[in-house]
Amino acid sequence: MNEENGSMTQAKPIEELTFREALAELDGIVAKLESNTMELEDSLVGYERGVALLSSLQKRLADAQQKVDVLMGELDAAPDDQTRDATLS
Amino acid sequence: MAGYAQGTAEGGAPVPQEAKLLTVSQALDIVKGALKGIRLTIVGEVSEVSAKRSYKAVYFTIKDRDSSLKCLMWNDLYRASGMELEIGQKVEVSGFFSLYAARGTMNFDVRRLSFAGEGRLRMEVARLARKLEAEGLTDPARKRPLPEYPSVIGLVTSPHSDAVHDILRTLRRRWPLARVVLAGVPVEGAGAPAAMIEGLRCVAESDAEFVLLGRGGGSYESMMPFNDEGLARAIAACPIPVVTGIGHEPDNFIADIVADVRLSTPTMAAAGVVPDQAEVAEALATRGKALHGRMLRALERKSSEVKRLSDRPVLRDATQLFAQEAMGVDHLAGRLERALPAGLEKRRDTVAQLRGRMARVAAIGFQRERSLVDRHRARLTVGLSGATDRFRRDMGLRAARLNDLSPLAVLGRGYAIARSESGDVVKSVSSVSSGDRLQVQVSDGFIDAKVGGSRLVSTETVALDD
Repeated sequence: MNEENGSMTQAKPIEELTFREALAELDGIVAKLESNTMELEDSLVGYERGVALLSSLQKRLADAQQKVDVLMGELDAAPDDQTRDATLS
Repeated sequence: MAGYAQGTAEGGAPVPQEAKLLTVSQALDIVKGALKGIRLTIVGEVSEVSAKRSYKAVYFTIKDRDSSLKCLMWNDLYRASGMELEIGQKVEVSGFFSLYAARGTMNFDVRRLSFAGEGRLRMEVARLARKLEAEGLTDPARKRPLPEYPSVIGLVTSPHSDAVHDILRTLRRRWPLARVVLAGVPVEGAGAPAAMIEGLRCVAESDAEFVLLGRGGGSYESMMPFNDEGLARAIAACPIPVVTGIGHEPDNFIADIVADVRLSTPTMAAAGVVPDQAEVAEALATRGKALHGRMLRALERKSSEVKRLSDRPVLRDATQLFAQEAMGVDHLAGRLERALPAGLEKRRDTVAQLRGRMARVAAIGFQRERSLVDRHRARLTVGLSGATDRFRRDMGLRAARLNDLSPLAVLGRGYAIARSESGDVVKSVSSVSSGDRLQVQVSDGFIDAKVGGSRLVSTETVALDD
């Protein structure tokens, strides 16, 4: 419990977490809330962090734009999806 | 007869034209002899196979577009070839023609059997697969898991292909959160294996978490770069997991068997290595519900605990806590109120009565005491005067003797006693200095004096001022 609280107070800023890390932390918080073992103050702190993690994750999903780094060779321009779909059908 | 047979069989001389009647056996013997020395290697496609355990040989037919040839291969040789004949395979057979005299049919007696063309390639690939397998490179224990939510995905494929766009499009639709690091390399032709090895190295050196090696379908021969031993070893040695998505569904390439994950086409590979953002969003919503629900329940639980306490009678009506005491106090106050005035009256009377009685009693007592005291005083005065007379006589005697001894008597004769300020009697000039104050006692009093000076003489004298 103490250890968990400790990690919670000195938690990394959410923007520095990878999607995977943020999701894992969120899962941990939900599990802890489910365990019903937390003091009300701790569960409020956890809840607050959980809400922040959740909205960060949702925002990342909603805002994501594919990025492609070409290390070797040269990438041909892709036909856009609409053109491609029209051609395929 | 024998001459003819001999001539044709050994010398290969033209068969004599003149009609000489031969038996069937003789005729077949001639042919048999003529064919026996001819070793041939023939390529053809297998069209019939008859391999039964009870047979001494495997019987099969090979054909090309126009012709077919019945073949047989003795079981021991067939087993040694390590091949499994199937219809449609392209094979190379080496051997010679033989005649089966009893039926008058001609067979090709196969001494060596191998695949031809693609079949040969497949066999070589199979051999390489067995070799790599023996080395443990295909061991399932070597397969590394992929990250569930990748951030950076490596991609090695041709930059000028549908495959690259299929992959990018699939990744974009399913998981646009991941950055793609692309090594665009040729995937066909002689230079392809080396280029793909370089691409893998390049991607592995970037921050990619795993690498997707992909290519669309093609002829078996054109896919051969993915059966390259060097590429296979590069995949096995790659520091990050390698996923293959190589077209041509039913085929399994060497790259596939050494890869950590094998998916059958580029698009399937792209879909298989990333989560679907729609599903993740749904899962997030579920987590959000769980989070809110849990918090709400925690709050409800706590507030019901508080309510349970606040419903306790003690907290609901604090006056009950002191009800007994409050009632007691009220009761006493009432009694006090009622009792006080009456009691006061009563006690005031008592006090007045007591005061009267006391005054009377005191007056009587006082009178009696005073007469008693007077009587004692009279007796005391009488007794006392007798005692003092005797005492006074003794005193006179003692005083006269004391006076004789007293220094005061000496003073009466004209001597004086000098005392320093500290009260010590001055007996020597050395005990005073100029300016010291002295008190000089004479017979009838004291003289305050001041030392003006002193000198030592044989007789003890003190110069005195004033």
